[in-house]
Amino acid sequence: MILKGRGISKGKGEGEVVMNASATSFLGGVEPSTGRLTDPALGGRSVKGRVFAFPQGRGSTVGSYVLLEMKRQGTLPAALINALAEPIVATGAVMSGVPLVDHIDLSLLRDGDTAVVDGTRGTVELPNVKECHVVSCIVRDGDKVLLLKRSAEVGTFQGYWAAVSGFVEVGESPQRTAVKELSEETGLDLPIAKEGRMVTVRDRDTIWHIHPFLFEAKAPSVCIDWEHTEFCWVTPQEVKDYQTVPGLAELLHDLL
Amino acid sequence: MFLTRDEESVLAGEKGEGLRTAMELLVALGDIYDAKELVPISSAHLSGVSYKTIGEGGIEFLERLSKDAKVCVPTTLNPAGMDRQKWKEMGISPRFADRQLHIIDQYERLGVNTDCSCTPYLGTNIPQKGQTLAWAESNALSFANSVIGARTNREGGPGALAAAIVGKTPRYGLHLDENRAPSIIVSVELDKVDYSLLGQAVGSAVGGRVPYFRGIRPTVDQLKTLAAAMAAAGSVALFHVEGVTPEAGIHDLKGMDRLVIGKREVEAARNKFETGKDPDLIALGCPHLSVEEIRDLASRLRGKRRKGDAEVWFCTSRCTAAKCPRELDVLSKFGHVVCDTCMVVTPIEERFKTTATNSGKACNYLPTLCSQKVVYRTTDGLVEMIT
Repeated sequence: MILKGRGISKGKGEGEVVMNASATSFLGGVEPSTGRLTDPALGGRSVKGRVFAFPQGRGSTVGSYVLLEMKRQGTLPAALINALAEPIVATGAVMSGVPLVDHIDLSLLRDGDTAVVDGTRGTVELPNVKECHVVSCIVRDGDKVLLLKRSAEVGTFQGYWAAVSGFVEVGESPQRTAVKELSEETGLDLPIAKEGRMVTVRDRDTIWHIHPFLFEAKAPSVCIDWEHTEFCWVTPQEVKDYQTVPGLAELLHDLL
Repeated sequence: MFLTRDEESVLAGEKGEGLRTAMELLVALGDIYDAKELVPISSAHLSGVSYKTIGEGGIEFLERLSKDAKVCVPTTLNPAGMDRQKWKEMGISPRFADRQLHIIDQYERLGVNTDCSCTPYLGTNIPQKGQTLAWAESNALSFANSVIGARTNREGGPGALAAAIVGKTPRYGLHLDENRAPSIIVSVELDKVDYSLLGQAVGSAVGGRVPYFRGIRPTVDQLKTLAAAMAAAGSVALFHVEGVTPEAGIHDLKGMDRLVIGKREVEAARNKFETGKDPDLIALGCPHLSVEEIRDLASRLRGKRRKGDAEVWFCTSRCTAAKCPRELDVLSKFGHVVCDTCMVVTPIEERFKTTATNSGKACNYLPTLCSQKVVYRTTDGLVEMIT
């Protein structure tokens, strides 16, 4: 899986991802002699030789010089990843020659991932993470939507509640997949009423690109196949009471 | 950001490693701020001089740059960590002195004017209205923007150095007309204005906005004090004063937010500053004393007797000091005339616990950068303490 961002400091670096969920100041936040993070909540982990990911830099401009001191002491991170780069960390990264890529959605990264950061091309590669394109088809009847419980026979998320869904196969358009899957899984042959914005979520070692589609029906007769064991009609507010596949609530909110 | 063919070749390293690093820094900053292009600068002013701040890591970086790079516009330097001549009297260790002098040498090799001062606009680096600059040092860049009408962003030390080497800076922020308009009207309702306290009150209220002052008629030295205090308390990089500063009359003020500063706000600022008593250091000259301020102090002190045991510092630039030797003779009967440095960037925490100052800027930085308790007094108040 390759995430596309923006290259701020050139060069390539590879290593294990260390995440900090909050804005980071190198001055006071990282010990230059060891590369250890000083925040006890981060367990004293070191960023030396690792890929250090945090939303944004903060604090005093002297922070830029801390990275230079880490270079001198040989404790630099292999690379940096930011949601949004700011001048203090960016300056320090360029001066000390650490690759920095920003405009990366950090929710797609996990502590301990292996990452290859290319600051020249502006990419973050996660070699152990695969990506899949799937469709998610919401059928609406009045103020209710159709939820289906995934059977034990399907490859993923067995027993979870979901919308009609399926993998987009190579050479197939998501629109075509959506109409096909809807017909196979519910027996309904309907035209697409609305196409939503693609949602990308991380679950374990997979990044899912979900293409949402809305279908409208009036008192349809649903006929499920082997992929589901039961179905129900619920209001969008009730969805949170069900154990659903990741991203479904967000997707519904966006589409309806 | 768009780069010309020449700029591309610098980025590719065809003009040397130092220039390449400088260009990489400018491109990174330009991308972060969505600048469309680089624009030529007339001068630069650099921070990042004191050994106390940049350390050995900073030294290695400067050594690397100075191998094959030089600044290509007039460039001046902020205060260093000590007086280059009187460092022993200041209690600086030989090791610190050695490393500090080495830093200044590296800047000299880069072609930088090493009169170390935070007020280059008073002597060694005087911008003109409308010029494009890359200045670090918050009081100096605010003075250049506001009082002179030149144009600079709030640069960090490395960004300003990179701009000095390339001779250009990314065009964004305060280089663009639309960002120079005032965004809040500040009405000052005071009989007698203390510009340090006014700067503290306004800076902490407006943050990074562009204040437009009504009801004050500051002198140049008072503008210097105001700029320094506002930049330290908030992050004000540009302000306008009705009837005084060059860009004050050109903007539409209709419907703008308003802020009133009266006695209550000023007292709150004073209370925030005052954290100590019985100072062991009394320090004037943040920002560096001007010729006029030195003359004024000399006239107040002439013929008086020195009182108290607290050490006294008068901080100024070597360039200013050279212009008023007789006045400095008077001052030196009351304390040390300290050049190249100031109470904020030299390691005073190794010798002093409580510092008295008349500077709003120093009041902001002394507790954090120098572990000092602070006594705030006006210039009159400080003179009373020592006579």
